[in-house]
Amino acid sequence: MTPKKIPSEIPAVDSKANSVLREIMSGDPVRIGLSILLGFFIGAVFMVVFNEDVVKSWSNFGADPSYALSTVWWTIQDGYGALFSGSVFNLGADNFIDGIRPLTETLRFAAPLIMAGLGVALTFRVGLFNIGATGQIMVGLAGATFVSTRLHMPAIIHMLVAVLAAVLCAMVWGIIVGILKARTGAHEVIVTIMMNYVATSLFTFFLRNPGMLLEASGGGTPKSDHPDGTAKLGALLGPDFNLHYGLILAVLAVFIYWWLMERSTFGYRFRMVGHNATAARAAGIKVENTFIWALAISAAFAGLAAANQGLSLDGGLTTSIEAGIGFDAITVALLGGSRAGGVVMAGLLFGAFKAGSSSMQFAGVSPEVLGVVKALIVLFIAAPPIIRALYRLPVPGPKIYEAAKKAKEAKVIK
Amino acid sequence: MNNVSRKALASVALAAASLLVLSGCASPKPGAGYIECGVSDEGSWTDKSFNESVMDGLKKAKDEFGVDLKSAESNSSEDFAPNLDSMVAGKCDVIIAVGFNLVDAVNTAAEANPTFNFVTIDGWSNGATNLKPVNYKMSQSSYLAGYAAASYSTTKVVGVYGGMQISAVTEFMDGFYYGAKAYEKETGTPVTVVGWNPTTMTGDFIGGFTPNDPAGKTIAAGQIAQGADVLLPVGGDQFGALSEAISEAGVNAKMIGVDKNWTVANPEYKDLMLTSIEKRMTQAVYDIVKAGAVDKTAFTGEAYIGTLANNGTDISDTTFLDDALKAKLAEIKAGIIDGSIDPLS
Repeated sequence: MTPKKIPSEIPAVDSKANSVLREIMSGDPVRIGLSILLGFFIGAVFMVVFNEDVVKSWSNFGADPSYALSTVWWTIQDGYGALFSGSVFNLGADNFIDGIRPLTETLRFAAPLIMAGLGVALTFRVGLFNIGATGQIMVGLAGATFVSTRLHMPAIIHMLVAVLAAVLCAMVWGIIVGILKARTGAHEVIVTIMMNYVATSLFTFFLRNPGMLLEASGGGTPKSDHPDGTAKLGALLGPDFNLHYGLILAVLAVFIYWWLMERSTFGYRFRMVGHNATAARAAGIKVENTFIWALAISAAFAGLAAANQGLSLDGGLTTSIEAGIGFDAITVALLGGSRAGGVVMAGLLFGAFKAGSSSMQFAGVSPEVLGVVKALIVLFIAAPPIIRALYRLPVPGPKIYEAAKKAKEAKVIK
Repeated sequence: MNNVSRKALASVALAAASLLVLSGCASPKPGAGYIECGVSDEGSWTDKSFNESVMDGLKKAKDEFGVDLKSAESNSSEDFAPNLDSMVAGKCDVIIAVGFNLVDAVNTAAEANPTFNFVTIDGWSNGATNLKPVNYKMSQSSYLAGYAAASYSTTKVVGVYGGMQISAVTEFMDGFYYGAKAYEKETGTPVTVVGWNPTTMTGDFIGGFTPNDPAGKTIAAGQIAQGADVLLPVGGDQFGALSEAISEAGVNAKMIGVDKNWTVANPEYKDLMLTSIEKRMTQAVYDIVKAGAVDKTAFTGEAYIGTLANNGTDISDTTFLDDALKAKLAEIKAGIIDGSIDPLS
């Protein structure tokens, strides 16, 4: 039997798409900042246009224009004010602990987004568009839940084993994609999306099965038992706050990512393949193996996010505990320009959105507004030409060339 | 956050508004100052199902009593606790948590905030006296619907399917099954119920509560192919998909609504709605808010259980139910209320 022929060249993406993708993923901080600003601005427009008080006051604009205009201002101030007091500091609180709680909630929500975001960011740097964080988190949750509800161990050890189980299960899910990509050339976008469905259904199947994860004393609802106290990520700042050791996992993940991508030879190989797979191959790098490694390590980060979700809440788990983190992770990675520091900032922003959502709703802003803001930010980042045109930014690539051309023209005129 | 100047401006504006004799500036309503709050189960307040029924009750109370309405939607289970916390931070007078998915979160919140009043719809209290469970005996009204379906059916085959195999869903299916079988016992005409067997606990389930799930349409088409001409989908808003399945099969079949009176709430389906099995959460919520905001009665953790007897649940009247059937249904209803008929056998 002849050895199976490995496709000689699997381009990550074709060259034109590659340059667009690279521009989107490159994460120019100015453009990202402006995208966020524009997202918030259009979000404000939505808040105003769909606010009953504003609509009423404007229908009576002729009688009292200053009132109509002030309702607009109040609506925006109330909405984003609620976002601030729900995610940073509650100015209306009676004491400091209540006041600072929103900030700790932002950190709590940001931790899993940062971890999963680092995973997606890693594959971006290798030139892979990985949509699979959702599935990897689901499988990781299944692993963590099995350890935390079915196995019984001493404290701390139990927690570490559960985290490890989440990471390993997620890695298996990532490696499958990597092998399919490396051996058959299957496109990772398609494969990861499909694997998401498989993972979600698989986790539901486990949750429905009494011999596996279904709660012992429930009414047959697909839901797990409460995790053992020994397996849980404990409170980080005492009982007054919900913040737990998941934040420490996130901080560790950020350092590991930074060292891996910026300091290790391993990360150097990743980046080389990401810049130009053909050149990397010519330089003797095993591109296929790099893909497998990248997807495996990326999934490990998603597994940490899964551990954070599965080992932090009191109640039993359902699939909804994934909470859209897998998809938000893609946005976080894009927003963070796939750098460790950027992903942290983006994760904090999205964590703040999640933490502030309920106070915004309390202030009467519909929760979809934040969804619109998030979506617009992605849209603007993914559409650099729009943002460049709106803010009259220069085109990044040919700038030097144009400057040279101008200089030449200037000479000619002389 | 300049509250003082804002309030000053507001009062100026209010004065200007009342000078212009605008509507909405009448004498203060009885519930002014009371804050009613709702936290939804996963899904939106406009789900055409239980979240919406509760929101309708809150809105009705707001309009009639002038109470303040605050609400938060939950997108996933990790939103439950923060949403409840926001309601506590907002000093709500009553906090209504919709759906049994919130039961852990609302029990935790009730224990942590003993001075606040909580209500759990479809949930239970683990002992907190400031948590009032609202539950329903849905098997009672489903039994009536099952009987009506069997009576109306020309093929004498009726179909039922659920969102997921959980007790909140199968309670409807059990009642429906036994109601249809009661018709068989009484008249001697054999009636077939497809989609659920309460003895073996097996049946047709969509696998989720996504509105108009295509999987539900496939199930419905299969049941229609087996001859079913009255179908009951117990899984939120599945009626768009079901009505498509009926029209594509080209049969003269009817549907049975769930939770709300679909004939009134969604008139586009009224020609297809034999009846609806109403879970009157709107009324329960309204009554609870009224007790607190207007009657000023002390809040208790005593459970509210909606039954046929207290009008908490019933089936809707429609033009498809003729007088003879209505009389028969009234007789069965009386039997269930006095205990001579067990809707689960």
